[in-house]
Amino acid sequence: MSTALNPCNHLLDYKKRYGLKGFNLIQKWVKTSPYGKTHMGKSKSEIPRCSFCCGYEGRLYICLICSSMSCSLPSGSNHALLHMQTQIGHEIAVDVQRSELYCFACDDQVYDPDFDRAVMCQQIVGNLDGVRSGNNKRKRLGFEGGLNLNLNLDLKNLKRVVGVSGGEWDHGRRISKSCFPVGLRGLNNLGNTCFMNSVLQALLHAPPVRNYFLSGRHDRDLCRKTSSDRFCLSCDIDVIFSAVFSGDRAPYSPAQFLYSWWRLSENLACYEQQDAHEFFMSVLDRIHEKEGKSKGTNKDTGDCHCVVHRAFSGLLRSDVTCTTCGFTSTTYDPCVDISLDFNTNVDHIAPNKPQKSTDLGITTLASCLDLFTRPEKLGSDQKLYCENCRERHESVKQMSIKKLPLVLCLHVKRFEHSLVRKASRKIDRHLQFPFSLDMTPYVSSSIVRKRFGNRIFAFDGDESELSTNFEVFAVITHSGMLESGHYMTYLRLNEQWYKCDDAWITEVDDEVVRASQIYLVFYVQKPNSGHKSGEDGGCHLRSSPSGDSFVSIAGCC
Amino acid sequence: MSAPDEIITSDHTQLASHFFGELLDSVIMDVASECHRIARLGLDRNLDDEEEELRLSAEARARIADPSNSEANSKYVVDIFGQTHPAVAAEIFDCMNCGRSIVAGRFAPHLEKCMGKGRKARVKATRSSTAAAAHNR
Repeated sequence: MSTALNPCNHLLDYKKRYGLKGFNLIQKWVKTSPYGKTHMGKSKSEIPRCSFCCGYEGRLYICLICSSMSCSLPSGSNHALLHMQTQIGHEIAVDVQRSELYCFACDDQVYDPDFDRAVMCQQIVGNLDGVRSGNNKRKRLGFEGGLNLNLNLDLKNLKRVVGVSGGEWDHGRRISKSCFPVGLRGLNNLGNTCFMNSVLQALLHAPPVRNYFLSGRHDRDLCRKTSSDRFCLSCDIDVIFSAVFSGDRAPYSPAQFLYSWWRLSENLACYEQQDAHEFFMSVLDRIHEKEGKSKGTNKDTGDCHCVVHRAFSGLLRSDVTCTTCGFTSTTYDPCVDISLDFNTNVDHIAPNKPQKSTDLGITTLASCLDLFTRPEKLGSDQKLYCENCRERHESVKQMSIKKLPLVLCLHVKRFEHSLVRKASRKIDRHLQFPFSLDMTPYVSSSIVRKRFGNRIFAFDGDESELSTNFEVFAVITHSGMLESGHYMTYLRLNEQWYKCDDAWITEVDDEVVRASQIYLVFYVQKPNSGHKSGEDGGCHLRSSPSGDSFVSIAGCC
Repeated sequence: MSAPDEIITSDHTQLASHFFGELLDSVIMDVASECHRIARLGLDRNLDDEEEELRLSAEARARIADPSNSEANSKYVVDIFGQTHPAVAAEIFDCMNCGRSIVAGRFAPHLEKCMGKGRKARVKATRSSTAAAAHNR
């Protein structure tokens, strides 16, 4: 299963000779704690002692062959080592406090998938971990056959959702300067409408949305005939797509779109700068309202098939764990974007040691994502009812991403609204963001696995076939003050960045984008190509090329 | 004969020290074990890439902030297509609400009045205050 893991000869030897007997034997000694750690408890009443010296100090190990316990003190006597030397072949033991395998011949901690599985099964059953959404999932845990079956079912649905949109990835081809990418056209500012222009530019170049409209999937004539509503944002966007991709380079005025949007969003309609993120959410809402009904939803997964959901919809997982018994209750919520708080933790700066990013005053997108998925202890005034304990206890909440969208929109919460001071302020702090983003550490399988100590174990729903690699294609920045700022979009087409400042389209270098104050960042999923050598850790397998055909937009005018 | 106080205190101190040492060793070992597992299983993040990104970001900010850098903050002369644009968009089209010819750059304020959503009549609008919108009409 794991390719990066090379067991030592002693471990291989042991498994050849004894198979899984030893693992199954010690399984009954695995004791769990609410925080996901396990230890070996041979007996409930006795203090574990070394069979050589009867001492109980230092690290204790249980021999996998004869179950005798020996100690290893940091300074001096190592009875565990002695045990190995006196009993030939007794090289593998288990660290009592940590439930980890140790090879005394190699003098190193070693790892084995079967051992981890044995510990995990005990841990999961022991903790009565109930994943609410699953039915009989607990029975399938530990049986890879069952897990694979389940995985395949999910994949079929996912492929259906993903496959329809076709290729989303533009080949990174450098085009000659004389020929600019299609779809690059300025948008006139109609009077403080840069918030709208910036979002439109991003939508125009979101691959699934672009592909959908450019292949004529929204039939304006049909829509006009069949719909009772006078206003349809999809129709208006379709018009904008036609205009922007027509080859005409004079700036376009999205007046009809503004009018339609105002008619459909009464409470937001006014001649004043709007928040680009709010606008974006509102547009997605309006399009979904209209289309969701006609396109319908997938009966099995409940996924909506409208263009916005197929492009932006993901699934967030929320785990609430009781700190008393470890019982975890899980809920899933769909999302079309992720709003991130600034991670402003700054560690104490030591003069000589190498400094982490936050020490230098640089906040990174990764740290904001870390903050988003960090276990958060809920306040004592927020005690939640634990079904296992049947009482209210303090709990810990942790978010993770169960299903990544095709287009990942990350919203940086720069505008703080203080209810106390009845004022809003803008956080001007610079946020570093990568051009290539690996979402692996933030997906549910990684987060849940980490909670169980990173055991080698095939968790239900391990999305090993879906890519977690994303590439940026649009960045919306906000410059200036809260009330009187200006929005702009940087678009990345064929590895060249373009600045879209209302009517003005100019070429800029990477560094201009890196130094800008990002507000909304748009990443698109990169297809799996299975070429990431050495990155195949034990739990994250990359499958063979998904075989999606790529739709590359030719760079000719 | 009771032991002198100093000896008792020193025993206690030694004992406390000893326990603390054990606890500390255990915690250090915990962290080492976790990190060892992460490293061995290849679960650690690619620190080289991350450092590279940080370096690029810091360099970019330094270069942009440099006042002698003209590219970053210069006013636009021509766009990539060789066009220039006025501060207020000059294109003229008909308002779809009232039919009048409007200059693009002034379309939004016109539309607001045209649709009867004047700023004077408007109460501070939030997403939830649909009541305000009703009041406007």
